[in-house]
Amino acid sequence: MDGASATGVMSHLSLLEAKTTGRKAQPVQRSRVSELRAEVEALSARRDNLKAEIETYKLQKIRSLMDQQSTHEDEEELGEDSEILELLRLMARHEQLKDLLYAHHIIGGYDIVKTHQGKGVCLLLTTSYQGVFLETYNLEIDLKPTLRISRHNVPPFIPLKSLEEQSSFQTDLRTFLDVLGQHLNAFAGRKQQLKFVKELHPSVEVMESNVLCSKLVMMFTVPTEKTAVLCSLDYTDHTKCLPTRVVLESEDNEALPDSPEWKNFHSLLMNTPVHQVLITMKEMGIIV
Amino acid sequence: MDESMKRLLQRLVRRIPAQMLKTTLEKCVRLTASQQRSVEVLQPKWAFTETLLDICEENGWTVKHVTKLEMTCFMDNPNQGMWYAFQLVDPEDDAHAVELMQFKEKFKYHLKDLVRPVSIKIKKHTDEAVWIRIAWGDGFSPPNHLKPTYVVHYLQTPYVFVTNLTSKRKPLLCQALVLSTRHQIIKDANLSGRKLTAVRDLLMKQYQQAFPIKYPSPLAERHETVSNPHIEKEQAESASKRFQMACEAFGDGMLPQLQTSIYKLETKFRDHTNKTMTDREKPFRCVVKFESTNLLESLRSCASSGIASTPVTPLLSSIPLKGRNYFVVTDNTPGPASQTRQPLD
Repeated sequence: MDGASATGVMSHLSLLEAKTTGRKAQPVQRSRVSELRAEVEALSARRDNLKAEIETYKLQKIRSLMDQQSTHEDEEELGEDSEILELLRLMARHEQLKDLLYAHHIIGGYDIVKTHQGKGVCLLLTTSYQGVFLETYNLEIDLKPTLRISRHNVPPFIPLKSLEEQSSFQTDLRTFLDVLGQHLNAFAGRKQQLKFVKELHPSVEVMESNVLCSKLVMMFTVPTEKTAVLCSLDYTDHTKCLPTRVVLESEDNEALPDSPEWKNFHSLLMNTPVHQVLITMKEMGIIV
Repeated sequence: MDESMKRLLQRLVRRIPAQMLKTTLEKCVRLTASQQRSVEVLQPKWAFTETLLDICEENGWTVKHVTKLEMTCFMDNPNQGMWYAFQLVDPEDDAHAVELMQFKEKFKYHLKDLVRPVSIKIKKHTDEAVWIRIAWGDGFSPPNHLKPTYVVHYLQTPYVFVTNLTSKRKPLLCQALVLSTRHQIIKDANLSGRKLTAVRDLLMKQYQQAFPIKYPSPLAERHETVSNPHIEKEQAESASKRFQMACEAFGDGMLPQLQTSIYKLETKFRDHTNKTMTDREKPFRCVVKFESTNLLESLRSCASSGIASTPVTPLLSSIPLKGRNYFVVTDNTPGPASQTRQPLD
């Protein structure tokens, strides 16, 4: 920085300093500040009130329009305001559709949102089991030149590619989403069942499981017979939360699984979520 | 106890921190009270090694016990060496129903068919990963336990992670894997890193990704920081847009820790000021390598701070999107081409 401008800055600063030290009008300044502050607050409050008034008026008008049975007379009366009427009708319809979409979101249906200035969409799929919302999964799809999934967070053991081929992804996106939703929801359900088995029934030993939760092998301790029973559940239908095959085996007492009691449990395991069956079995004192 | 066992044990103890060995010992094996006490005494590493050797002799341990100890320690601490990812392609119809016992039997059978002698140990981790430890031998020598190959695979997923595999043994392992998982082909996934957890999380999509959503959840409000109301940031809107695009390209929160990204360029040289180079017909071959302790984190902050232009170029966003960090870039393709890299050595 060259000398001339430096002194220019320095002299300016010292001038300002002199000004401030010389001020005697400070107390007057302070009350002016508090006056202005109060005015700002009053004006903002008024602005907020007016905004709220506009909103309620708008809503009232829209509601009355939606409830109203439009007759010819009414339309003629409001002839001049027909443009405004049309606009309000469209706003009403827009609000209705927005509410409908939000309701769809709340019940766990999929959301869709535009991306890349309309060249793509992003879908949100939710999973739930027994009334509890679990993980969500996203799919980003490019629309041109053909439908193509560009990005997603679906785990690799859900076979997206083969599902795409199976359900004619290009022509019927909704079918594809339904099938994918079934796979994801069933997976979430099976995973939840495994979690409950591990948490609620620590005495039952989980011998085998896998990432897809399509196989579960457990060891039951049967105190009355002083033996252990090996229970294998195969979930070969990946769109279901219930097993397609149940095998009960006992090494020490081979005839045990064929007894009527255990045949009962076999059918129970085929038709009821496994963690609930274990609760029943525990209550009956069959297993520890 | 023979020399090779002693050497194996010594090497094991040298590589692993004493504390980890102690906890693994307690987990894996039953020690007598006096042995337990001798292990717990605070002592220098060499004395600890001697203690362990004594325990081995007393308990009559074999190579099997020692390798089991090594495997457990490695499974708890896998972020050593370089991990390479492979992808299984073209599953057969029953690939989805392959279960653990079936896989174990088939893998052992097929690998033993291809190479003898070989020592194979297969163990299931709590997170459903199947770990395989392979000590290779050939017709003339017994299995080399000092340089085992480790393989990690999650059944019903197409990915396999391998460390410490020589190019000589690679075709044998690949053949055994393809046959036991009921697929037709296995190929290089072009992803490597020092941390197994990072490589795995990237391919299995186990990190937090960011997507444009319609109804932000209540938890999403954590991004809104209360700033000083007297300060208005001129660039606030464009900064938040950049941040959003950076997160969408790389992810939210903690990112898998990759260390490198390699681009092998086979493109023509383009620079108007350098006629001689530009006039050359053949492509200008060079390799660009990005290195960092946490590559994805640094790329994300490059994009959000504006150093890298947004929307993020596919050259960078392909790393998490395609799950790879080795690319061959040619002139014909708009983005990075897919090609396998040179065999591992």
